[in-house]
Amino acid sequence: MKSLRVQWILAIFCLGLAGVIAELSWTKVRVSIPEMGRKQIEPSLGQGMLLGILGGFRTVVADGAWIRSYVLWERRDRAGCEALMRTSCLLDPRARFFWENTGYVIGYDMAHWEIRKRGGYAKVSPEIQDDLFKKYAQQGIRVMEEGVKYTGGNVGILISAGQMSELKLKDFSLAASYYKRASESKNAPWFVHFLCARALWESGQTKKAYDWYRDVWQKKLSKEDDYAPDDLEHLRYMEDQLNLTLLQRIPRQSWEKKN
Amino acid sequence: MKSSLTRISWMTRLTFLEAIRQRFFAFLILLSAALVLSSVSFRFLDFGHGELKFVCDFGFGGMFLFGSVLAVVMSAQLFFAEMDNRTALTLLAKPVSRTEFLVGKFIGVWLVLGVFIFTLSTLLAIILWARCQELTAAAIEVGKAPPELSIKGLFSYTGMQWARLGVVAAMILMVASLARTFLFTVIVGSMLVVAGQLQWLAQETLLKPGDLNFFSKALLSISTYIIPNLQQFNIGDALTLDHGSVADGAVTLALFSGTCYIVVFIFIGSLIFRQREI
Amino acid sequence: MNTGPAIAVKGLTKDFRIGLRGLKLRAVDNVSFEIPRGQVFGLLGPNGCGKSTTLKIILGLVSPTAGEVSILGFPFATTAARSRTGFLPEAPYFHKFLSGRELVAYCARLSGVKPESVNQAVEEALALTAMTEAGDRTIGTYSKGMLQRIGLAQAIVHDPELVILDEPTAGVDPVGSAAIGQMIKAMKSKGKTIVLCSHLLGQVEQVCDRIAIMDRGKLVLEGRVDDVLTRRDQNIITVENLSPEARRAAEEALAQHGAKITSVTHPRRSLDDLFRELVTGSRDA
Repeated sequence: MKSLRVQWILAIFCLGLAGVIAELSWTKVRVSIPEMGRKQIEPSLGQGMLLGILGGFRTVVADGAWIRSYVLWERRDRAGCEALMRTSCLLDPRARFFWENTGYVIGYDMAHWEIRKRGGYAKVSPEIQDDLFKKYAQQGIRVMEEGVKYTGGNVGILISAGQMSELKLKDFSLAASYYKRASESKNAPWFVHFLCARALWESGQTKKAYDWYRDVWQKKLSKEDDYAPDDLEHLRYMEDQLNLTLLQRIPRQSWEKKN
Repeated sequence: MKSSLTRISWMTRLTFLEAIRQRFFAFLILLSAALVLSSVSFRFLDFGHGELKFVCDFGFGGMFLFGSVLAVVMSAQLFFAEMDNRTALTLLAKPVSRTEFLVGKFIGVWLVLGVFIFTLSTLLAIILWARCQELTAAAIEVGKAPPELSIKGLFSYTGMQWARLGVVAAMILMVASLARTFLFTVIVGSMLVVAGQLQWLAQETLLKPGDLNFFSKALLSISTYIIPNLQQFNIGDALTLDHGSVADGAVTLALFSGTCYIVVFIFIGSLIFRQREI
Repeated sequence: MNTGPAIAVKGLTKDFRIGLRGLKLRAVDNVSFEIPRGQVFGLLGPNGCGKSTTLKIILGLVSPTAGEVSILGFPFATTAARSRTGFLPEAPYFHKFLSGRELVAYCARLSGVKPESVNQAVEEALALTAMTEAGDRTIGTYSKGMLQRIGLAQAIVHDPELVILDEPTAGVDPVGSAAIGQMIKAMKSKGKTIVLCSHLLGQVEQVCDRIAIMDRGKLVLEGRVDDVLTRRDQNIITVENLSPEARRAAEEALAQHGAKITSVTHPRRSLDDLFRELVTGSRDA
């Protein structure tokens, strides 16, 4: 009997030890799994997505949730649509598509649903409409920020966040910050540098816009095969607008057309 | 010791032969294989995940879902078949200890689960490799970066899944040692598997406890020790498609953790089983 | 060499808890007996009397509430005891996909038969149980009688000193029963101790040397078959030309009348009769 008691104590001790080792293992393993916390999982509960949360068929379940969200989009069901879209993001957090489009739907569409729900554009005052556009745009941008974090700085999402800042918030400084992050990424598209410079320019930071754009052109863009003539053309426009002297301007390039 | 290992090996052999003959096993393996093969046809559902990830997901999902079902049902069924048919009477009247009986059962089931997992993995590896070759050729043509695929990583993940299923099987046998019926074992066992898959929530909460009271923290702490975190074996995407994101020693530590849980659950199961009246 | 009893049971008691309130059911009540080596011992009793529970305790499948049991000098429920014991359960069931030969070989391995001796041991066991020809067929194709015989083969393949048979002839036809009876005698001739649980009292009477009868968990009778069945309070006088006078007068008279008493014996009742006298009734009724 005593021996049995000792064995049980040993078993419980070994169980505790196994738990400690599992904890250590989890801290090493979780860097490979996109971080998901309690808060993020809440929208998915009750959406029939348990299988995906448990660990199987994540991509498929995420796709299924996304397709279901289209149905709710048609019905203008804000809460349901957002919950399903966030579920898709949660299940496949490394996919750009879900984050970007969730941000789009929240930022561009939901304000209009809210206005219609409150009686339409005629009934809701322009001030309230503006507030709603801003509120949902900010929410959309927050979703995209989260997406940038989980996707490891996806360029597409950054550009979309910048666009939403410009179009909906009219915040060119904020837009410029997103475009700048995109332009500094490894696989930045050719047009993002101009977008950043333009946003900075529109925000009133004209000299800063020119200096930054010029720096990028000289260090990076001019080294491309075609020397990025469109960007140089934009820079020339900026130089004219800023009334820069000859010495302050980029030297004329041999391939540049004379005006 | 040698005679004990001999007895265990013979128990394992019989358990394996009995399990591999079951139609349920054949059904599940065919269903899983069909699922993996069908992933190629469902490529159009890809919302930009990346085609290889989509195909991987089908394979990993099959391993997870059907593997778990197989582990729970087969472990319980093989144990209770011995009890209900009273073959356990004949076996345990021989110089076979209860521990040897349980260990032999476990290893037999684990080997069958190994056959299941490795068959699926091999099929998945062939499909992925073939598709990767096509995608690589297409990417090179348009000057894009070719997709990443690590077959070695895939089989590392297979090993991890095998370990996970071993933990599940050991857990079920522990429950079966105490339970009186097959149904109870399957229900409780399934709940434990779900709890194990969601265990990471408790661990994440404990890492950032926030406004939790002492009682909740204590309860969560205890649960993290008793119920194994099965999510720690779930890094298939990273191992197969993004090897650089896997920390050094993560796989080894997870496998070691799984082994520890297997040993502990079988040990506890044998302590319970020793007191059971046949 | 150990010459003690094959099985020694002392003060054996087993209580089962039933229901949520933990009510105790006493299945075995302070049972004590010894089974000498080299004999066939019959353990009898109506359904529910505790004989199966007693057997299970002896085999280490159930733990006793009180009492001691030793098998061939070893504590019960130990590997040493079980390696010297063979057991055929009631209504045996074996894995259907195995052949008879495979099953017996598997049991031989589990019982510790050396690998180099397994084949010979299997063939001997199959020969003793007349299953050599059917040995390669799968168990799923066996009849009831064949199942019992293959069960017997797996019980004796490792040449145990003690063989416990629980209802070995249940559901078997008379021819098969008789064959099993012969096998029991053959095992006895090899010096094995056999414990036999059976409801076929006629067969028990024929093959057993000693019997014990249990009823409601208690041991009501135990002893040699001849001793328990012979009625010593009565005599049988066999005479030639006996007239109907009293015995003494008859003896004198017989002597005077030239008659001769050739033997004086005691009448013997059948085991069936004795069983029905002692036992109050089956718990199944």
